[in-house]
Amino acid sequence: MNEPLVSIQNLGLRYGSFRALEDVSADFRRGTCVVICGPSGSGKSSLLRCINRLEEFQDGDVVFDGASLRACQDLPRLRSEIGMVFQHFELYPHLSILDNVTLAPRIAKGRSRRAAEETARRLLDRVGIGDQAGKFPGELSGGQQQRAAIARALALEPKLMLFDEPTSALDPEMIAEVLRVMRDLARNGMTMLVVTHEMAFAREVADEIVFMDKGRIVERAETARFFSAPAAPRAREFLDRILHRL
Amino acid sequence: MNLNYEFNWGMLFIDPARGWILDGIAMTVALSLLAWTVALAIGTAIGSMRMTRSRWLRILGGLYVEVFRNVPLLVQLFIWFFVFPLLLPRDWMMAWNGLDHVPFLTALIGLSLYMAARVAEQIRSGIAAIPSGQFAAARSTGLSEFQLYRHVIAPYSFRVMIPAIASEFMTTFKNSALALTIGVAEITYAARSIESWAFRGIEAFTVASATYMATSAFVVVVMGWLERRLRIPGLIARR
Amino acid sequence: MGFDWAVIQDNLPLLMRGLWNSVQLAAITVALSFPLGCVVALGRISPRPWLRYPATILVHALRSNPLILIVFWFFFLVPILTGRPVGDFASVLAAFVVFFSAYFAEIVRSGIQSVRRGQLDAALSTGLTYAQAMHRIVLPQALRSMMPSLATECVIVFQGTTIAYVVGMREFLHTTFLVTERTMRPVELYLFAALVYFVVCLAGSLFARRLEGKAGRAR
Repeated sequence: MNEPLVSIQNLGLRYGSFRALEDVSADFRRGTCVVICGPSGSGKSSLLRCINRLEEFQDGDVVFDGASLRACQDLPRLRSEIGMVFQHFELYPHLSILDNVTLAPRIAKGRSRRAAEETARRLLDRVGIGDQAGKFPGELSGGQQQRAAIARALALEPKLMLFDEPTSALDPEMIAEVLRVMRDLARNGMTMLVVTHEMAFAREVADEIVFMDKGRIVERAETARFFSAPAAPRAREFLDRILHRL
Repeated sequence: MNLNYEFNWGMLFIDPARGWILDGIAMTVALSLLAWTVALAIGTAIGSMRMTRSRWLRILGGLYVEVFRNVPLLVQLFIWFFVFPLLLPRDWMMAWNGLDHVPFLTALIGLSLYMAARVAEQIRSGIAAIPSGQFAAARSTGLSEFQLYRHVIAPYSFRVMIPAIASEFMTTFKNSALALTIGVAEITYAARSIESWAFRGIEAFTVASATYMATSAFVVVVMGWLERRLRIPGLIARR
Repeated sequence: MGFDWAVIQDNLPLLMRGLWNSVQLAAITVALSFPLGCVVALGRISPRPWLRYPATILVHALRSNPLILIVFWFFFLVPILTGRPVGDFASVLAAFVVFFSAYFAEIVRSGIQSVRRGQLDAALSTGLTYAQAMHRIVLPQALRSMMPSLATECVIVFQGTTIAYVVGMREFLHTTFLVTERTMRPVELYLFAALVYFVVCLAGSLFARRLEGKAGRAR
């Protein structure tokens, strides 16, 4: 299985006259963890959202596990193979944590409540909040909520996990617990695309770094090389600013 | 679909229909503008009463708003028309009944007082929505209460309240139709007259509806123009 | 001129029957108008133009017209369209349901739009269809935030039932009018009617305000 899990081909996305993504092409292999970074407005989130077609791109195509997104007739089924974690967690406030995690497996994949709940409890244990299953999102801290959101995404046994700035809305003390879960996932072979500003995490966990600016991929390199000697000047500038903040 | 109906639009353009329509529109416009103006004046006064430090004024204002908002407008019109004259001292009642245009005046009073309660409520929630920091900041620079309201609160809240005030005019305009029940010959009354006189209901009601919808569109345009002229940059986020 | 409050007591059964008719009209209107409003609201926010434009035009048209005119329209048109004379109540009810559906549609629409976009995104990203996502995730949250406005609108519907007076329906105001004609005591009777409306509508408004307080705290 040498073909890439995700193949982005000349992707173009426009909002009216604003070009969010411009002729973006990239392949991502199975089992790799790739961090996508860049200044705000560079198109990082848009790229992620095109991969599960939450954004309707105008040009190009995305091929996921051999299937073209543009030609896809059963979008819900395709989306259930891709897990997504959002900056603001987006847990459903009117459902318990357990229900949050079991909802999609039951409704979209038709699993029985018992089977879904078993899987859910296992996942919630794995992310460290097994005892919170009966509570509601409003009763949990930000870090706990985001871990629950990760469990919700994992409940579908996805082939790919997309993380859209998963720690940007968290208090500093809670960032570590979420990154720990993500590192754990990466070490267990999950294919992950992570949009983040957490450069320490990138350096430690990511296999590759992709740097985007103004809707294009400006540089892509293996982690070590990116941090020691980024080729593009824009990438160097970005790295300087971000690392100085540390 | 066989409508079983003969259209005759031309009938609208000759008397008596034409006369009724023109008088009706004039009556609707006159009643609405007058009632709205009076309602703004009274409503502002009452709305301000509710923001003062005097507990009694606040209660009085609150009572006015609750009474006039929770009794249906039609019932209020009936009371002004049937009950109010009977409660007056004999001489005053004779004078009142002797006036020209009693139905119009009755409708004007009823509509104004009803709308005033709504305006008062808009004013109160408009002022309440101002961030409290504004009050604190202005007071700390030594402005008196009056100056505070005149120079800081009023201009700000005026701009924010423009949409509400404009929609109150439209509400007044639509509510003026109820005056037909006490004999005011506004546009809906005219349409009804045409309907019962010539059975040309669709044509007649179309004219009435067109009056209301055209006015609504006009108000929206004017309001948009006003908002643009008076806009505070960055205050109302435009997506 | 003395007041004769006994006239209210003597006619109370008749007046209360009128009040009951008003309540019925209001209740049935809400029961039919709200679901219709939900449908129209979904049309309003639909990405498909052939749904969105008619829904938007319908809502604007209905909201620009006074209820009394809409009632006249239906009273005139329904017999013509159906080819046979229809009873008072059916025509009035049809007019009320269509009219208020436009107002409920706006309440539902802003309720749906107040739910964060991320909720819909999250639901879709887990493989739910648009319909499932709306049904399980967006609408329940929207409904919670809509409750105060819905309660207020119900009070407005009840106040609107007085308009049925103009087409002769025996609701509370019309019944009061008839009793007045017979007994020649408008002062006592209309003031009583005003009092009854005041009490019912005030109760409704206070209930709506309490809901608003609850919604505020839940955030």
